[in-house]
Amino acid sequence: MLTGSKTTFKVRQMLPDIKERMLSQTGVNARSRDLFGLRCLPGECVLQRAVMVRKKLTAREGRGWLSGTLFCTHFRVAFVPQDSPKPDDNADPVLLGDHDVALASIEKVVVVGPNRTKLVTPNSSLKFTPEELVLYCRDMRVVCFLFDRLTPESQVQEMTYSIAKTYQPPKPGSVLSFQNAALGSVEMKQFLSNRRRDAHMNWFESASDWEQELERCGATSWRVSSVNDRFEMSTSLPRFIVVPQKVLDTELKKSFAHFNEGRIPRWCWRHPRGSDLLRMASFQNNIYHEKDDIRNLEMILFGCQSSLCVVVELGEELPSPADIQLAHSRLRALCLGDISTSMSVPDDKWLSTLESTHWLDYTRSCLRKASEVACLLRGGHLTVALQEVEDRDMSCVVSSLVQVMCDPHCRTMYGFQGLVQKEWVMGAHRFYSRINYHRDNDKEEAPVFLLFLDCVWQLWSQYPSRFQLTEDFLLALHDSVHLPLFSTFLSNCQRERCKRSQNLGQCYTPVNGWRDVLHPDSSTDPSDPPLPPVWDWSLQYSKPRQSRFTQPVPPTPPLQPLLNGNLNTNPDKHRLTDAVPGSVFLLSRGTFSCPTNLLPWRSSSSSGVYKKSHRRALSSENVPGLERLLKAWALVEFPQALTSTSGPQGPLDPYEPLLPLLMGPCMGLWRECYLRGALHAQAFSHPLSANHLHPVERLAQEVQQLKDKLEQVSTSTDPTPPAVTTEPRRADTNLNQNTNNGTFLFPASRPQSAGALRAAPLPTSANQHTSRGAPAASAPQSRPAHKDTGGSSKHTFLFGHSSVIDAHPDQRYYSASSTAKLPKSNGPSLAS
Amino acid sequence: MEKSGSVDSLGSKRSSSRQPSVDSLSSTSTSRSDRSAQAKPPSAMSSDSVSTSAEFSPELRVKPKISAKQAIRDSDKEELQLLPNETVQDMAQDVTYFCPFTGALRGTVTVTNYRLFFKSMDRDSTFMLDLPLGVVSRVERIGNASSRDVSYGLVCKDVRNLRFAHKQMEDTLRKSIFEVLMKFAFPVSNGLQIFAFEYGQVFPENGWKVYDALSEYKRQGIPNESWRITKVNDHYELCDTYPSTLAVPVNIPDEELKRVAAFRAKGRIPVLSWIHPESQATVTRCSQPMVGVNGKRSKEDEKYLQAIMDANAQSHKLFIFDARPSVNAAANKMKGGGYESEDAYQNAELVFLDIHNIHVMRESLRKLKEVVYPNIEDSHWLSNLESTHWLEHIKLILAGALRIADKVESGKTSVVVHCSDGWDRTAQLTSLSMLMLDGYYRTIRGFEVLLEKEWLSFGHRFQLRIGHGDKNHTDADRSPVFIQFIDCVWQLTRQFPAAFEFNEYFLVTILDHLYSCLFGTFLCNSEQQRLKEEIPKRTVSLWSYINSQLEDFTNPLYVNYSNHVLFPAVSLRHLELWVGYYIRWNPRMRPQEPIHQRYKELLAKRAELQKRVDELQREVANRSASSASERPGSPTRSITPVQTFV
Repeated sequence: MLTGSKTTFKVRQMLPDIKERMLSQTGVNARSRDLFGLRCLPGECVLQRAVMVRKKLTAREGRGWLSGTLFCTHFRVAFVPQDSPKPDDNADPVLLGDHDVALASIEKVVVVGPNRTKLVTPNSSLKFTPEELVLYCRDMRVVCFLFDRLTPESQVQEMTYSIAKTYQPPKPGSVLSFQNAALGSVEMKQFLSNRRRDAHMNWFESASDWEQELERCGATSWRVSSVNDRFEMSTSLPRFIVVPQKVLDTELKKSFAHFNEGRIPRWCWRHPRGSDLLRMASFQNNIYHEKDDIRNLEMILFGCQSSLCVVVELGEELPSPADIQLAHSRLRALCLGDISTSMSVPDDKWLSTLESTHWLDYTRSCLRKASEVACLLRGGHLTVALQEVEDRDMSCVVSSLVQVMCDPHCRTMYGFQGLVQKEWVMGAHRFYSRINYHRDNDKEEAPVFLLFLDCVWQLWSQYPSRFQLTEDFLLALHDSVHLPLFSTFLSNCQRERCKRSQNLGQCYTPVNGWRDVLHPDSSTDPSDPPLPPVWDWSLQYSKPRQSRFTQPVPPTPPLQPLLNGNLNTNPDKHRLTDAVPGSVFLLSRGTFSCPTNLLPWRSSSSSGVYKKSHRRALSSENVPGLERLLKAWALVEFPQALTSTSGPQGPLDPYEPLLPLLMGPCMGLWRECYLRGALHAQAFSHPLSANHLHPVERLAQEVQQLKDKLEQVSTSTDPTPPAVTTEPRRADTNLNQNTNNGTFLFPASRPQSAGALRAAPLPTSANQHTSRGAPAASAPQSRPAHKDTGGSSKHTFLFGHSSVIDAHPDQRYYSASSTAKLPKSNGPSLAS
Repeated sequence: MEKSGSVDSLGSKRSSSRQPSVDSLSSTSTSRSDRSAQAKPPSAMSSDSVSTSAEFSPELRVKPKISAKQAIRDSDKEELQLLPNETVQDMAQDVTYFCPFTGALRGTVTVTNYRLFFKSMDRDSTFMLDLPLGVVSRVERIGNASSRDVSYGLVCKDVRNLRFAHKQMEDTLRKSIFEVLMKFAFPVSNGLQIFAFEYGQVFPENGWKVYDALSEYKRQGIPNESWRITKVNDHYELCDTYPSTLAVPVNIPDEELKRVAAFRAKGRIPVLSWIHPESQATVTRCSQPMVGVNGKRSKEDEKYLQAIMDANAQSHKLFIFDARPSVNAAANKMKGGGYESEDAYQNAELVFLDIHNIHVMRESLRKLKEVVYPNIEDSHWLSNLESTHWLEHIKLILAGALRIADKVESGKTSVVVHCSDGWDRTAQLTSLSMLMLDGYYRTIRGFEVLLEKEWLSFGHRFQLRIGHGDKNHTDADRSPVFIQFIDCVWQLTRQFPAAFEFNEYFLVTILDHLYSCLFGTFLCNSEQQRLKEEIPKRTVSLWSYINSQLEDFTNPLYVNYSNHVLFPAVSLRHLELWVGYYIRWNPRMRPQEPIHQRYKELLAKRAELQKRVDELQREVANRSASSASERPGSPTRSITPVQTFV
């Protein structure tokens, strides 16, 4: 469709304002150009411009109207507010401004004229002058522009035609042309190739990434195996998988055949109480089980737990991809309410129609399943293996939800991004097929990932202060899914991504999913733009918007940076020590059972010795114990888990899972996402002040600004005698303790010297200690350069201070950072 | 091994060292609770202590097995603390309470002249139920007399039912405790006094002084060149359900007012509720005109409405909002009532707002109660909720109020609002539109003034609608009109979280004391009755209690948007069921997080940081002044955070 947009471009060049276009085409060398206030991407052409346009602001943007200039380029519909600051030419390119819509995310263009509305297609002609332009987007945004009477009529008409002609209707091939429009220019390619990957998060691409996660979780009896390095064992598994220490690669190799797609049980996460979470595909039943195989299979399945394994079958109670797709399309139809067809659901049927989409039922069932698993894991010392036929859809949802519930690290932005990398990208969720960018595979399409985001939102809305990430982050991720630009979502598994990156000569590591079937030649075509990962937020969002992705004041409960895998601070009543070694139970519909054919090899007659020893284990005497674990979840009276987690005053175990309330009234509709297009409440003030933030955000920003000011002011007092400065610094420390954010809020210029860089604790949130080993790149950025001087010695003093006094409440900070410094030596010894 | 041991000890140290810090963190709220425990009537909330709305009063929650210190603190509250002049009437051991959520509990019941108190030590934590008797709508004996157990069901006005049982009395002459309860639950029917008249708590604030009609009119700029204050109703002779102070158009003399009163149902003539400070457009309220089947007219009434229109120079139109569905309005002609015909009233436009009558609303709430109490069917929750039509009614009321506010604000047109009698739907509409139009009413005191003015002084018949102390639970005059209004206010607070000075707890408290009969505020039907009963002298005002501890009721996010007019979205898509009120008894619905607590913390932190910054800036300024200023302006310049957070 590249040609399509080019022809449009040619046609447009005939238009009288040709000079404008010339302007936009000149200066190819400049990385960005300022054109009537619009900052173009390199190579971006402005096709049309309309002045005196007002954009309707959503509730989140502050409601009301914003006037400015509307542009249509061959990549996006851009809106530049009237008095927006002049763009900085030297800044890095941002794909989309705050008010822009990418053409690829437009689903429908509707114009509203006097007394009529019309759906605009590339071929339609307008018989009236539109007053309003409404863009319905795939991400459920509805963007509405209002033309003023002063807007030249020709501009209005041309703008409508331009958008209608250039926005790509979904069909195979249009994605590539869109990618080229956005990223195809030489400068853009250059820019992307030079882009560094964010080192704050774990990408789970190398063996050391996985090792780092093992260390973080204190999972010592597991190891990273590169047995699938060349994708010979399983095409969909990542290159590195985590398996029990005691299983050798040679033994491992024999087990792949026993599982669908070779997706053997792999370690995902370790609960601090010592339970392991595994994922696997269903068993291949038509295979002969040799004695050795069985030994290996059992070893893999039980991992390092000798006693108990619970297999959680995900097929039955959870929606199928087809269910999700149907529910989502119904939800879209319900929420978007289309003015062109006026097919909106009457208000008095809203609730029952919402119910009949089953979307909320599905979020509930995912959350319920994840809560069950979380409660099981909390019991300690057992293995929970999630089993799904293909192990690529609901097991991604459930395993990552469990971790969001149980692991505070996964509720931070970087932690969450790592989680998505681990469970979805490396776990080979078929993003490419499920999102169906090319609209060529409707059968496979299912927004499983969006369902997951909704589940996370439900958790967030019930426990907002336990998350470091915010709703804005979830929204940004939700919207990015619909933009076919990110390598994260454009492949089905690591193998596809690797193929592409090899062909591109490794210039940009996480790259586009190359499709053997669809574009057999695209791998050889060097002009394909390198695709960025979605996590490169600076490409999409301005700094102020990114700053809303996280809470400025971190969550109140202490986020402990290290999961040591042996958290035994409160002796556990539920611990099941009496379990017979090798017991396997199936959790299904909230009850436990041990069907004989649960593990196919055990039911087969060939299992010999093992069969005998395990017959014993099949007694269900452990079932009551297991059900007790689940009870915490279903507990009606004095839900202790609930009371103890609520309230900052209560003694709070950071690893108590966030168990959501799942009753009908508790499942909310993500209005900020799905109802963004609907008419919202408005507050009119006499002096109309349009762009003000939600008060909570503003409060949060104020707090942040004050902190910055404080930081700045306290540094400017640096050169004064230490006797005076110690006072404010101490206040700083106290502040940290109050927020319980578990790390050094004050920027601790301690590690400014090159030697200490590796262990640098990051300015705010916890858990950074645990993330990638080189956070130094960002740490110094966050503070004014001039403050380095003289700071270091004082902070070292403070640091030493806390280590000297034993009972100092600061103790945990000390321990935290020391473990971060010496993770290698610490991890194994802790778990022994 | 050594290492892991140290981790364990470290962990325990951590938890032990956390305790004091937690205490110090919560010290503010603890001291507050201690202080408020004195000011607060201990049972101000009509709730199970277990199900106390945790979000707002974390200190009241029963926390099983926490630290010893906490337990001691809690145990103080576990005993029944009598209010001034509250006396124990009866006690019974071995009573079973059938809690629909936790199962049967055995314990002790105490009945006083104010409340029922149930306490059970069955479980590892104490269970308490503290129920003001005013909440009880009906007591029914379940089961036959011959059985060994006697069982009683208490139907409550606040969306719950309670069931108790105890053994048949050996001594047949002795009354069951629930018969004693019945006597005190329905004092009016039993010739007793409502407890509010006995309750003698003294608060630092006097809530009866919150509202003064004259100063409220003065705040609005009345009297002015078009509107005057009349004393014609000083002795409630013009209209016995209206207040003594009324604001009417300047050019209508009192004599004519009397003739207008003759044409309006119950003499409730159109009077001013609110005037726009700039456009002079007004909200006026009245009852239906007595048109009847013959289409009677009244010259005085027509002239009067013309005068209301003329008082606003901006517009040559007057909107009459009839809250009823047009069918009902027409049906009222049979009873002598009706609506203004557009022939008779030139320049007036009549709009029907389709809000149903009190009987429909009562039925709707009854259905809602069935859907939410005690059990909720998850799979059909939304369609069940839809079938109650409760939210639809809320929507219609909000939509009506929105239209009124829009006409006044955007259309600069004066409006007249009425229903049949002008004390139910009219009160909902005028007060809600005033809440949208005027930021003053969104403050705590302003809201109190709004209730005192639009609801209490203009004669919303609280006694009849709630049935204080009256055992006649089937009374057709009972209706949740006021609850609907508070629900609408809550919807507004959801859509404009920063526009209201009060929080959800404030609204819940008002509704709780609507029934509790602890305060005199909601007693009687009209200002005249209240004066006759000497309510302000003999009882305590709810506002005395609330204004004495404002911090509990303050919304930490409040920003004074006094100039803003709120236009809420009234589509059902944007309305929610008020879970925190209707489903608060369900322990599985308790909010997971005390959000308000967090907001308060944030605010405190902001204040603290602001103070610190100020201090440091002053220090820097001093120093740079002494050292001849080398870095000009750098400390005050606010930098944009390069990387705000990680």
